[in-house]
Amino acid sequence: MGRTSAYFQADWFGPAVISVLAVLVIGLIDRAFISPAALDVLILAVALNGMIVLSQMVVIAIGQMNLSVGGIGGLAAISFAGLMQVQGLPPVAAAAIALLIGVAAGLFNGWLIATTGISAFVITLASLSLFKGINLGITSAQPFYEIPAVVKAFGSEALFDMLPFLSLPTIVIAFALMVLLTRMPLGRNILAVGANPGAVALTGVSLKWTVIAAHVISGFLAAAAGVMAVARLQIGLPTIGDDWLLLSFAAPVIGGAVLSGGHVSVGATLWGVAIVAIITQALVLFKIDPYLVQAVLGLLILWAVGINRWREVRARKGEGKL
Amino acid sequence: METARYAFEARSVSKFFPGVKALSEVSLKLSAGSIHALLGENGAGKSTLIKIVTGVYQPDQGSLFCSGQACRFSGPRDAMAAGIGVVHQERNLIPRFSIAENIFLERNGRHLFRMIDYKALAREARPWLERLGLDLDPALPVSRLTVAKMQMVEIARALALRSRVLLLDEPTASLTPHEAEALFAVLRKLRDEGVSMLFVSHKLEEVEQLCDTVTVLRDGNNVCDARSTESLGRQDFVHLMIGRTEQVVTRRDREQEDVPPFLELKSVSSALGHRDISLAVRPGEIVGLYGLVGAGRSELAKVIIGRYPVTAGEIRVDQAPVKIRSVAQAIHRHGIGYVSEDRKHEGLILDHSVLENAGITVWRRLANCLGLVGDRSIRALVEPHIRKLEVRTPSLHQKVGLLSGGNQQKISVAKWLSAGVKLLIIDEPTVGIDIKSKAYLHELIHELADKGTAVLLISSDMPEMISLADRIVVMNAYRVQGELANTGEYAKVSAGIMNLIHD
Repeated sequence: MGRTSAYFQADWFGPAVISVLAVLVIGLIDRAFISPAALDVLILAVALNGMIVLSQMVVIAIGQMNLSVGGIGGLAAISFAGLMQVQGLPPVAAAAIALLIGVAAGLFNGWLIATTGISAFVITLASLSLFKGINLGITSAQPFYEIPAVVKAFGSEALFDMLPFLSLPTIVIAFALMVLLTRMPLGRNILAVGANPGAVALTGVSLKWTVIAAHVISGFLAAAAGVMAVARLQIGLPTIGDDWLLLSFAAPVIGGAVLSGGHVSVGATLWGVAIVAIITQALVLFKIDPYLVQAVLGLLILWAVGINRWREVRARKGEGKL
Repeated sequence: METARYAFEARSVSKFFPGVKALSEVSLKLSAGSIHALLGENGAGKSTLIKIVTGVYQPDQGSLFCSGQACRFSGPRDAMAAGIGVVHQERNLIPRFSIAENIFLERNGRHLFRMIDYKALAREARPWLERLGLDLDPALPVSRLTVAKMQMVEIARALALRSRVLLLDEPTASLTPHEAEALFAVLRKLRDEGVSMLFVSHKLEEVEQLCDTVTVLRDGNNVCDARSTESLGRQDFVHLMIGRTEQVVTRRDREQEDVPPFLELKSVSSALGHRDISLAVRPGEIVGLYGLVGAGRSELAKVIIGRYPVTAGEIRVDQAPVKIRSVAQAIHRHGIGYVSEDRKHEGLILDHSVLENAGITVWRRLANCLGLVGDRSIRALVEPHIRKLEVRTPSLHQKVGLLSGGNQQKISVAKWLSAGVKLLIIDEPTVGIDIKSKAYLHELIHELADKGTAVLLISSDMPEMISLADRIVVMNAYRVQGELANTGEYAKVSAGIMNLIHD
C-alpha cells in the first residue's frame, strides 16, 4: 500500500475534502460566506461543537453512548456562571469547580454502568434527566447575567486577531486525545474494550476501570464545553446543552467512528464538526428555514451511517487480505 | 519427583455439575516436546477438561501440576501466568491494532500512561513471527490478515508470554487444507524446540498425522491416557471414542411406504459453500443429517428454508421445482418449518409468554378480516399441543425464559405442530436437555413422522440419530459424504458413519 492510497483510506480524508470543497463552492456562490467575519463565526462554532463532540466520541470508542453530555454540560455551565455571580468566585476557580462537577458526573455514569451491568443507554438517559433536574432546581430556569469581562473576552476575542481564544482549549484537548488514543495504553485499552472486551479481559486489564475512565474523560470534556458555551454566549443560560445530543453523534459518525466501539478518529470527527457547521451556516446565509437544518442534519447522519456500513461490508468480504 | 517429566499434568480430576458428573477421575499428561491429542465425542467431557486446564473451571477433586509443581488456577489469568497459552476457536485479537500491538497486548496494558514505542514493539515482535515462519510487517493491522494468519499471530502471542504448554482448540476448523498443512509444519517445528502442545480436534486424520500421544475421553472417563499414537490407526481412534460395547438404543421400526419424496435436493450448491448436495425426504420418514460441528448441516437447513440463496442445482417440493426466497414463503407456501438449534436466539422469544411463542407461526393464518389475532383463537389451536407435550408451565402466560431448557425446547417444537407443516427440519433437538424431556421429544418426533410429516433431523448425538432416523445422510465440509440405511445396530451403523466422515 503506497503512501498516497493510505491518505485516501484515512478516515479524515473524505470529510476534509468535502469541507474544503463546500467552503469553496458556497464561497463562489456568495462571497459573504468566506468573509473574515463569517469564517470567524465558523471557527467559533467548530471550537465549541468540537469539544461537545469529542466528549461523546470517547464513549463511542468503548462501544457505549453518553446521552447525558448535554446534561453535564448544562450543569457545568450554570455552576460556572452561578459561582461567579452569586459566590463571587474568580473565573479560574469557578471553571475548575465546574470541570470537577463534570468529572464527578462522568464517574457517576461510568461507575453505575461498570458495576451494575445496566446498559449505558439507560443509565445516561436517567442521569441526563437527573442533571437537568438539578440544573433547573438551582436556577429556577433563570439565566445568570453577570459574566465577568475577562470571560466574555475569552469567548469573543482572538489571539493576534487570528485565532479565537475559544479554539485553544479544543486544540489542546484534540491533540491530547489523539496522543491518548494512538500512543497511550489507557487510550488503547479504551479502543480494545470497544473492539473485543473478551480479549481484553484475558490480558488482565480491568474492563470496569477502563469503562469508568472513558466516562470520566467524557464528563470532563462535556463540562469544558459547558464553560466554553457560557463564554461564547456571554450569559449563563440554563438551556445550554439541550441541543447537543444529535450533533454529538452526527460528527463522529461522519468521521467514520464505529458505533459498536473500537474505532474513532479525532481528526475525522473534527472535520465532521466542520461539515455540520458549514451546512448550518450556509442554510442561514441562504435564508433557508432554520427548522430545515434539523432535517438536513438527520439526512447527513443517515448518509454517513450508510457509507460506514458499506465500508464494513466491503471489509468483511475480505478484499486485500494478506 | 516423578511428575517433573510432564510440562503439565492433571491427576484424577473430577468435575460435577448439578445432576451430572462431567468428569470422573480423568488424567491428562503433557510432555515437553510433544504434541498430544485430546479426543472424544460430543459430550464426552472434552470441553470441561479444556476449561479446567485453562483455569475457567476449578476441579472439584484431583490436582493439577505445572512442571511437577502443584498448582491451582482461580481464573484464566492464573493459567496463563503458569505458562499455559491458549489459542481459542474464536479469535481474541483487536482487529484494528497492529500485529505487534496484539502480540504484546498483555504487556502494554499495564502502564496506563507510558507512551507506546511502536517501532520498538515491531522490532520485538519480528523474532516471534520469524519463529513461526511468517514474513509479515508487524505494523500491519490484524484486520488485513486471513483467519489462518490471525491464528498464527495468536500462537506468536502465546509464545511471547513464555508459554510452555500451548492448547489449540479446533485450530483447523476454519482453515483450508493448505493452510492447515502450513500450521502443522509450524507446530512440528515448535515441538522440536521443546514446546508441549495439546491439540483438540474432531479430525482424526489430523491427529494421526500430527500427534505423538493421545488421551481419549468417553462419558467423562479416560478411555486411554497419554497413549502413544504409533500403533494406532483411524479405526482404533473411532473404536476408542465410541467404545466397543453395544449402546442401548430403543428404536421403532416404521413401515416405509414407497411414496415420492416431499422434499428433494438435486446437486444443490449454495452461497454458503455447499457443493453438490443431493438428498430426499419422504412424507412419514425421518432422515438424519449427521456430521461434525462445522460440516454445514445447520447452514443447509437455512438454505432450504430460504435464508440463503441456492446458486446451482434444484430444490423440489412435492415433485415441483421451487425457488424459496424467504422463510415466510417456506412456511406459508410450502409448509416447511425449522426448529433452530439455537433456541435462545433463533427459536424463542424468551421475554414473551408461552402462548405468544407457541402461536407465532399461526398468527398469519388466524388473523381475522381486520388483521387482528385474538388470544382465544390461538389458545384453541395451541393448548392441545402444549398439554400433550406436558410442558411444565404454571400458565400459558408464563415467560418462556423462566422455563427449563427441556420445556423451552418442547415449546419450540410445539409451535410447529400447531402450524401444521409438511416438512419439519429439527436441528439438535436435545442439546442441554434432561433425559426425561429428551425421551418425550423423541416420542414426539416419532409421532410427527407417523402422522405423515417428513422430518429432516440434524443431530451430533449418535445414539439419538440411530434411535430416530430411518436413513442417515453423512455430511462433511459442506458436501454429502454418503448415505446409509439405519438398521438400528449401534456398533455397525456408528462405525459406518465414522468411516464416511473420515474417508
